[in-house]
Amino acid sequence: MNLRVVGANLVVSIKSFYREKTAMFFTIAFPILLIFVFGTIFMGQENVSFDLYVQDLDHTDFSALLVKTLRLNGKFKITKVEPAINATQYAKDNKLNLVLIIPEGYERSLNQRIDTDDPDTSVTITYIYDPSSTSVSTKMQILNSVFARINQQVFGKPPFIRTAEISILNKKYRFIEFFIPGVIAMAVMTASLFGTVNLNTELLQKGIIRKLATTPITRTDWILSNIAYQFILAVVSTIAMLLVSYAVFNVSLRINAWLPVFIVLDIFVFVGIGMILTRFVKEAQSASAAANAIMFPMMFLSGSFFPIEMMPGFLQTLARMLPLYYVNEGLRASMVFVDNMTALRYSAIIGIFATVVFILGIMATEWRSPHPR
Amino acid sequence: MTNRAEQVIEVEKLTKRYGDLLAVNDISFNVRKGEVFALLGPNGAGKTTTVEIIETIRTPTSGKVSLLGMDVTKKKHDIVPRIGVLPQGFSSFDRITVRETIQYYSRLFCRRDTDIDGLIELVDLKDKTKEQYKNLSGGLKQRLGIAIVLVNDPEVVFLDEPTTGLDPRARREVWEVLLGLKKKGTTVFLTTHYMEEAEFLADTVAIISTGKIIAMGSPGKLTESNANYMVLTLQSVDEKVFGIVLKMGFEPVHDDHKDIKVRVEHTDDVQKILNAIKDAGASCLSLDVRKPNLEEVFLKLTGEALCEDPAGGRGAE
Repeated sequence: MNLRVVGANLVVSIKSFYREKTAMFFTIAFPILLIFVFGTIFMGQENVSFDLYVQDLDHTDFSALLVKTLRLNGKFKITKVEPAINATQYAKDNKLNLVLIIPEGYERSLNQRIDTDDPDTSVTITYIYDPSSTSVSTKMQILNSVFARINQQVFGKPPFIRTAEISILNKKYRFIEFFIPGVIAMAVMTASLFGTVNLNTELLQKGIIRKLATTPITRTDWILSNIAYQFILAVVSTIAMLLVSYAVFNVSLRINAWLPVFIVLDIFVFVGIGMILTRFVKEAQSASAAANAIMFPMMFLSGSFFPIEMMPGFLQTLARMLPLYYVNEGLRASMVFVDNMTALRYSAIIGIFATVVFILGIMATEWRSPHPR
Repeated sequence: MTNRAEQVIEVEKLTKRYGDLLAVNDISFNVRKGEVFALLGPNGAGKTTTVEIIETIRTPTSGKVSLLGMDVTKKKHDIVPRIGVLPQGFSSFDRITVRETIQYYSRLFCRRDTDIDGLIELVDLKDKTKEQYKNLSGGLKQRLGIAIVLVNDPEVVFLDEPTTGLDPRARREVWEVLLGLKKKGTTVFLTTHYMEEAEFLADTVAIISTGKIIAMGSPGKLTESNANYMVLTLQSVDEKVFGIVLKMGFEPVHDDHKDIKVRVEHTDDVQKILNAIKDAGASCLSLDVRKPNLEEVFLKLTGEALCEDPAGGRGAE
């Protein structure tokens, strides 16, 4: 290995990157945009407020109290629907997914129930709803729980089974804090995979490799300089992502030695895969398509954006076979849970994978034009 | 007789096969120190394979090749720092400037003494030092390529089709740079499929066809020894002239300029043709008698014409 040669190559790669605005955008700005978009969505979910349309046909003090109870629950922003309007038609016309109807005689029935304690005396609240809406079932669940609580408080006895929530974490973490390690792992993967594929295909297709093969630079020098270049990009990109995360979303993530460890392992895995790909797919467009075919399953199945527990069983098994899953979980173990043993276990798994893939990648890299045409 | 110590490149019974394809077939030649040696042949003749074996990029199937007194199959690491190579279809990193590209290659050779400004001046790129590679024209790219070839002050320079795909003006500009190298006494190994280029630059020309060297010598000697005839060119507006010459038993042909070309064995034949034209009452605007050029020698030897690929792009082999 010749450090001067590695350095020369590194300088050329960094200058090329700096002058290629598209690459700059996808490596640095795009992950930050993802954090902004998803961060905003997740932040909003923590204080979510649903629209609820209520038609009060009873128009009494008790029905008004019910509406007030729903409002005070904090989950609903209530809009009243005039009693004279046909609620079903109104929901269709205004594309509403739920209209709640308090029937006429609500107060009378309630008084009768209190006076007589007759269990057959009841009142039916109607949900006019659109079953194709994704959020309507959540709204109905919240409403059902509110009504169950009212039923229990007004007429029943105190519950026998109560629940208590105790978090296994010292601190309550927000979803954004789970999300950011996934974005870091994904951004490093994308830059390493596409960076290697693009660089190697350019080298082959443009014939630059023919010239390099007649200079003292060796395959090892070339690969090492690529690794160093990817590491610098990953560090810059990760710092940018973390700065935005701390500044905008005030996240609580621990930075420790595991972060560079997982970044380096992530780079070795995907530079290795990139080198193997370019051995078999030499045309730039095909290589890019092949890199996409690897990147997308990794991105969506390995738990970068959402927990794999949300997926069916067979997809969870598949996710555990993907290297990015171990980078994601390793980074979360170190940055979110500060769980060194789990981080160590995942780093060992991904380390073995990285070693195998990288050696195969070195073997696959041709250091000359394949054959004269 | 040439002193063996003066031989910079020695190729002996070199053969290279790619599977069933015999790319180079038992060729032998030597290149002297300080000479410009041109390997001339059409696309697919085996030029690039031959030069890449000498440059240590490829290994021969059989035969012996030595460069600067070293076996190319065993001494790659000793040879590479002492040679400069401009590969066929040379290309570099798009977003790196002219100066940065030369610096980059100089660093690859671990040279701290490269005269970057001198090289830029040599290839006349002073106005383009901050221009990125992707913005250079074909001719400028090739001139940059030649500057890169010289970053390590090489003892032997290999130029594989350095002007293929360039327009005539750009080609001339590259030739001027190569003439400068020749004047400096640099040993140059050139492959080309342009006859004019070989005639203009080379001290020795080896003609290669389907992997075999079929003739070798100085351009003058090659034409002398392989063509014992002369070419008479008649510029005429008279349609009858072609028929008159044909009737005399010669084989006239029209060239690209509609002039009539006739191959004649003796100077007497020229006089006979002129007399016959005069007797028939026809006339010529001008005439020219000359020895055949390399192109015509090549045509005679191989039965095929040397030409650039139709797209004007770079051929490869």
